[in-house]
Amino acid sequence: MASQILPLELIDRCIGSRLWVIMKNEREFVGTLLGFDDYVNIVLEDVIEYENTAQGQKKTKLAHTLLNGSNIAIASFRL
Amino acid sequence: MTDARAEPPTEVSPPPPPPPVQLTGSPTDFLKGVVGKRVKVRLVSGVDYQGVLSCLDGFMNIALEQTEEHVNGVVTNKYGDAFIRGNNVLYISALEAL
Repeated sequence: MASQILPLELIDRCIGSRLWVIMKNEREFVGTLLGFDDYVNIVLEDVIEYENTAQGQKKTKLAHTLLNGSNIAIASFRL
Repeated sequence: MTDARAEPPTEVSPPPPPPPVQLTGSPTDFLKGVVGKRVKVRLVSGVDYQGVLSCLDGFMNIALEQTEEHVNGVVTNKYGDAFIRGNNVLYISALEAL
């Protein structure tokens, strides 16, 4: 194997860029990644929260936000 | 008896100033910076609590002052002091600059 990347290293490479976070329930966040810890609690800036409900999608803007890692399912780089 | 040859007290240089608190983006630093500020805490259930963050710990247990409970954007309750158990917390968002 040429080189192996640890899972948290993948997130580390996203610091400073936009990150898309999908929660366990019908909720998503997009924001600039400032940092995270071993529990994958995530600190984001300039965040948009998307709540997917039966009535449609609700957007909420947030500034500096700490997401609790226990509800995070997926985190992905986003342009 | 004092010794005439005793040297005058040497000028004591002031202690170096403490290094500025280096805030990286980590969750711990966010929590340090946000204490005393107005915050919005959203629970997993979707209910919001807005108030002044008085203290919190590593479990995200939170003590809020001047708390307002918001359900679907409407204020439904007010508490002087409120304790929120950390397992319910979805996120903590700063309502003012850190």
